Amino acid sequence: MAKPLEQVMDALDIETFFVCASEEEGRALMLSLLKAWGFKDVDVVFAQHEGPGVRVRGRAYVYRPADKYRWLRAEAGQEGALS
Amino acid sequence: MKKILLAPLDPVHDIGLKMMARGLEQAGHAIALLPPDLTPEEVVEQAVRREADVLLLSRTLGYGVAEILARFIDLADAAGLRDSVKIAIGGMAIRPELAAELGFDAGYGPGTTVEEVVCFVENRNYRPDSTHSGKAKRDMTAGYDYRYRHPGIAAKLAAISDIILEWVKDKTSPGVERAKLRDELWDAEKWRNRQGDGDLYSRYPALCGDIPRQYYAAGTLHPKTRRSTKEEVAGLERYLAETKARMSVKTLQHTRAKPLVFVQYGTGCPFMDIGHILTSEAWGADGVVHFDPSWGARTEGFLDGFLTHQEDGTVITPANMNRIHQALETSTLWQIRAHRGLNTPETVVLAGKLGADLTKINICYGSLGAGTDPERMTVDGYHSMLYARKYNLPFDVVTNEELCGVPAHKAFAGMLIVGDLAVRLGARPILQPLFAYSPEVMVNGYMADNYVDFNAAKIQALRKIINSPIWPGAPIGFLTQTEDRVQSAMATALHACLANSLAVDAISIASTDEAYSGGPISVPARIDTLRAVQEGFRFFGRAEIAPTDKAGAYADQIVDGIEKALEEVLACGDFVAAIHAGALGSQAEGAYPGRNGKDTVTSKKR
Repeated sequence: MAKPLEQVMDALDIETFFVCASEEEGRALMLSLLKAWGFKDVDVVFAQHEGPGVRVRGRAYVYRPADKYRWLRAEAGQEGALS
Repeated sequence: MKKILLAPLDPVHDIGLKMMARGLEQAGHAIALLPPDLTPEEVVEQAVRREADVLLLSRTLGYGVAEILARFIDLADAAGLRDSVKIAIGGMAIRPELAAELGFDAGYGPGTTVEEVVCFVENRNYRPDSTHSGKAKRDMTAGYDYRYRHPGIAAKLAAISDIILEWVKDKTSPGVERAKLRDELWDAEKWRNRQGDGDLYSRYPALCGDIPRQYYAAGTLHPKTRRSTKEEVAGLERYLAETKARMSVKTLQHTRAKPLVFVQYGTGCPFMDIGHILTSEAWGADGVVHFDPSWGARTEGFLDGFLTHQEDGTVITPANMNRIHQALETSTLWQIRAHRGLNTPETVVLAGKLGADLTKINICYGSLGAGTDPERMTVDGYHSMLYARKYNLPFDVVTNEELCGVPAHKAFAGMLIVGDLAVRLGARPILQPLFAYSPEVMVNGYMADNYVDFNAAKIQALRKIINSPIWPGAPIGFLTQTEDRVQSAMATALHACLANSLAVDAISIASTDEAYSGGPISVPARIDTLRAVQEGFRFFGRAEIAPTDKAGAYADQIVDGIEKALEEVLACGDFVAAIHAGALGSQAEGAYPGRNGKDTVTSKKR
C-alpha cells in the first residue's frame, strides 16, 4: 500500500473539540497537536468557542501549489511526505 | 444464474435488501428473501438447506454490529459455507473495512448501487460508466433572443452602443495588436504538433511589457514561477491515465435541468488544478472557470511554456491551458476569464483556439473594479467581443464592481451596456448578477430579514428588461460564507437553491475555504459545497422558494435605477467620460477608474 501522506492531494484537516477555556487556548492546542505529529505547514482554519470548549479545525498542508507532489510521481517508492 | 439468499441480520429493517433482490431478479438470478429478525443460526441453516451460491446479508442497526457479524462468520465456517458460498454484508451500519476484517467477501456501506451488487454476484469488477450519466455540454444561451421587454431602457442602450461604436472604430491598443497577431499568425494545431509558433514571436515581444519581453529575450521567468520538470510531466501523464480509467461524473441537478454549476480553479499550479478539476467533475461540477494571477491582468503580454506559480492564480500560457484542456472530461464546460486586464482580447483568441467553451468580458468592471484604464478597457473590450463572436464563445458580463460598493442598479447598467454592445456585434452575452451580501445591501439593510428578496429582485429586474441568459456568481453567496465549513457549505447550498428556484441558467459556487485566507483552497473544501448543492437540489426539486413582497419593490427600484444611470451616461455623450464621471459607479461608491494601460490607446493606421 502507498504511504498515506504521499496520497494526500494537498492538505490534511483535523477537526475536533477541545475542552478548554477560550478560543485562543483551543487554537494553540490544535497547532501544538499538528506540530507534535510532525507537520510544519500548519494553521487553524476555523475555531468557535462556547462554554464547554472549542470546536476547531486545523489544517496541515502536505503540499502547496508548485511543490513536487508525490501522488504525481512517475514511479512509486520514494520517501515519506513529512520530511 | 446464481441462487442468492438475502437475509437481514436485523429485527425490522430490510428495505435495502428488497431493492437488491429486485435488481438481482431483473438480472436473471434466483432470489430468496428471508424475513427480518432471524438469528444468525437460522440464516446459516437456510443457506445450507437452500444450497445458495451467494449469501447477501444486511445490517442497519449499529448496536453490536461487530459482534453479530463475527458470530455469523464463525457459524458459516463451522457449517462449511465459507468455501462454497460468497458472503457479503451491506447496510447503514456497515463499513467495507470492517467487513473485510471479519472475513466477508465484500462489504457495502450506504449509497451502494444495485449494479455494484450484481457485479459482485456475477464475479465482475464494478466500474461506474461515465457514459451512463448522460451528461453532455450544454449551451446556456440557446433559446434566448435578447429581445428587450423594456422599451425605454432598450432605446437608451441602443443610443449608448452607437456612441461606443463611433468612438472605438479608429482605435487600437497593444492588447488589440497582440490579439491580432495571435489570431492571424498562431496555429494551435501546428503548435500542438510541435511545428512551431509561426511568425508570432518575431513581432510579439515588441508589443509586451517588461516581464514577457525579458522572457522572450533571455528566458527570464516571473520570480514566482518555475518551469515544470520532465518528471512532473511524466507523472501527470501517469496520474491522468490512471484517474481517467476510473473516472465518472455525477449530475448535481435533480429534476430540473438547470442551473449548471461552475467552480473556479487557479491554485497556481496546472498539475494541482488538474487534480482539483477532476475531483470537481467527479463530484458533479458542470463547468470550471480558469483564474489567472492578479499580476497577469496588469502585464502586457503572455509568457510561454509549461509554468507553475507559487501563489494564487494559474499563469495563462498556451502550454498550461492546453494541458488543462486535455485533462477535462468531455462534458465539462471550460471558461477562461478575459474580462479585466491588459490581455483581454488575446485571452479570448487563445481561449477560442485552445477549445474553451466560454469566456468573460466586462468593460465596466474592468475599468471600475479591476484597475484597467477605461479608455483602454473600452477599446480592448470591443475587440474582445468581436473575437468572442468569431470563436463562438458566449461570455458572461460580471458585475463584481458591486463588491467595491457600487449599487446593483449602476453595476447592472454597465452590464447591460456591454451586453447590448455584444448583441449588436453578433456575440452572445450572459448576464452575471451577484448573489452577494454586498456593501450596498449592508448599508441599506436590504438583507436585514433574509437573503432571498434582494437576490430574487435582481433576477426579476433583469427579466423585466431583457430575455437573456442569467448566470449568478461569482461565487454565489459571496460575503455570507465564513471559515466554518458547515456554515459555508450551507450558505452556498441555500443560494444555489434560490438560483434553482429562480430557474437561472448557471451558477458559480465557492468552496468551503472561500472565507479562509491562510492558504490555498483544499480539494475536500471543493467537495463540501458540491455535495451541499446536490443535497439542496434534491431537497427542493421543482418546489420554489417564495420571496416576500419586498422583492418586487426592490426589482422596480433596480429597474428605475438602471434607467437613470443610462440617462446619466447619455447626458455625458461619451461612454469613457461617463465612466470617469461616476455614472456607472462613483469614487464615493468605491469605484475608481483604473490606470493600468493609461495612454496606450492609439489611432489605427489607415
